[in-house]
Amino acid sequence: MKSLNLQSMAKCATARVVRLWILGLAVAGALTTLPAATPAAAHGERSQQAFLRMRTLNWYDVKWSKTELNVNDEMELTGKVHVFSGWPQAVARPGESFLNVGEPGPVLIRKSAFVGEVPVPRTFSMDVGEDYEYKIVLKARRQGRYHVHVQINVKDGGPIVGPGQWITIKGDMKDFTNPVTLLEGSTIDLETYGITWTYIYHFFWMAAATAWILYWFMTKGIIVRYWQVKAGKGRELIGQDEKRIGAITLAAVLLAVLVFYAAANREFPRTLPMQAGLLTGISPINEPRSTVAVQFKGGSYTVPGRELRIRAKVTNNGKEPVRLGEFTAAGLRFLNPEVFTTRPDFPDYLLADRGLSVSDSNPIAPGETRDLEVIIQDARFDIERLSDLAYDTDSQFGGLLFFFTPSGERQRAEIGGPVIPKFQAGATL
Amino acid sequence: MSASTETGSPAGKTWKSKEEFLGCVILTDWILLVILFAVLLGSFHIHYMLLAGDWDFWIDFKDRRMWPTVTPIVAMCFAAAAQSFFWTRFRLPIGATTVVLALLIGEWINRYDNFWGWTFFPINLVFPSALVPMGFWLDIVLMISGSWLVTALLGGLGWGLLFYPINWPVLAQYHQATEIDGVLLTLADLIGFNYVRTGTPEYIRMVERGTLRTFGKDVVPVAAFFSGFISMLVYFLWWNMGKWFSTTKYIEIEEV
Repeated sequence: MKSLNLQSMAKCATARVVRLWILGLAVAGALTTLPAATPAAAHGERSQQAFLRMRTLNWYDVKWSKTELNVNDEMELTGKVHVFSGWPQAVARPGESFLNVGEPGPVLIRKSAFVGEVPVPRTFSMDVGEDYEYKIVLKARRQGRYHVHVQINVKDGGPIVGPGQWITIKGDMKDFTNPVTLLEGSTIDLETYGITWTYIYHFFWMAAATAWILYWFMTKGIIVRYWQVKAGKGRELIGQDEKRIGAITLAAVLLAVLVFYAAANREFPRTLPMQAGLLTGISPINEPRSTVAVQFKGGSYTVPGRELRIRAKVTNNGKEPVRLGEFTAAGLRFLNPEVFTTRPDFPDYLLADRGLSVSDSNPIAPGETRDLEVIIQDARFDIERLSDLAYDTDSQFGGLLFFFTPSGERQRAEIGGPVIPKFQAGATL
Repeated sequence: MSASTETGSPAGKTWKSKEEFLGCVILTDWILLVILFAVLLGSFHIHYMLLAGDWDFWIDFKDRRMWPTVTPIVAMCFAAAAQSFFWTRFRLPIGATTVVLALLIGEWINRYDNFWGWTFFPINLVFPSALVPMGFWLDIVLMISGSWLVTALLGGLGWGLLFYPINWPVLAQYHQATEIDGVLLTLADLIGFNYVRTGTPEYIRMVERGTLRTFGKDVVPVAAFFSGFISMLVYFLWWNMGKWFSTTKYIEIEEV
């Protein structure tokens, strides 16, 4: 039966079949490698559950120093992040975190990153309930228009994506350079450093392997060897001559390994192991304690109206009257137009400049405690899929409220708690 | 290529001449070689990406302990199975070399087309581990000894021991020291930091984690010996795996 199989295979191996094979391989190769991939425009932030985005990291004061750059220009991505006190039980706490950038590949490279004053090329630790200031210096590398987010990856919690902004990069990536000065004093371009040698080294060994395979393949091929082994003549295929060739080849291979190894040590006598480790003890933002206290008293979300209503007891312990100006959650900003008379510079898709209103818009006097109903209503709540809160396993919202004094001072207060979904239009709290 | 009918080939009335028969054999050999190579490339590549994964993808994962431990062990699986197939069926001492070459070609296509071509990661961040001399070692130990037991013991140990020295000629340049904002880094660390990977935060690197601290800085030989030892065991298992599946009984045509 087996010989019949081989016989029929050999009969099929006509020149026509071979040509079809080659054509098929070429088409398959072209189909898998040639078509251009469409660029990624977003990073899945909307797909993350609403409660996770609202109750883990609250981003605020996010700024992109530029939105248009040329290749090799630098920009800063800065801002603050509040680690929510009611961090959800379903997500690991941010004991090991990494300040990252959400972008479609390294179209901008990260030249440096800081949390507070501490450089963070490594993993660092954050404490729940605290606020941290961050700065990322980015350098434009590839031309195009990209959505660039701040992001913090939390170990066992996943990436938590902050607000994103469209950044336009002009020029050509082939002009990009990434100069780095080594401790020994010389400067290299990290963009291309060592690549030519890597190709040479790898393709040298691949060529050697190809030669070895073809040598054995060309001496008696596959089928004849199979027949000989099958006929009990396998030992004749590998005699003393073949073993001698093998021994010589092995000696040459080992000698080459030794020479390459010694040459590397001679050329790079001072090398270090890779550096890793957790940075702990990073100080949170050193700001006076907020003079406004907020107590959550209940809330509801009207699904058809895209309206979040929050009842809260607000106490002003400061010396000036305050008014509620902003609610922020999951990177979205809902502004009270009575407080924000000009539109701040922020990505439009995240800025509801008339999205917040309060039941009593009079300023809260110093020492006064007042029950407020805060109404957050905007299509962005739904577009950014925060309305999915109603379908989460932990239907609690979270965010920050910002109060403003007449002198322009800002007081922030965390708020969060369970909300009851209302699925009928016109339903009230 | 030389071929003969000395073993009593099935050349009979089906072919018009001996030359035509030999031509068919040679052509079939080439087709088989291409198919085998492609199958090994695809299957080994998937296996290796799943098991070695990030250790092989990124320069800043190639540490002194986990990388030289894990990578040779998972690479040994296909090398042993391919040797079993090529040696027992054809007496061809090319099994390990063929699979590591196939893997490397597949990896280079992937790294160049996908990692560089589509997502712009520089090649010095994403080049694969070099394995070819280990393939030579395993194949030639098997050819000279003619014993899979000797190959498992001697070849397996050498497989693990050779891995780091083979890769060091490329790696050394990326272990030079630099400093960024007062933090000491190697170039490998810095490449990983500079070229943003949204889904690959620094904390998932496993750089020298574990309990080999007693050995001070000389952790590579310990890791390599351990890797070699486990590679021996993997060789036993996967040689037999290769043997079990080196058969045409699954595809034979049965008359019904």
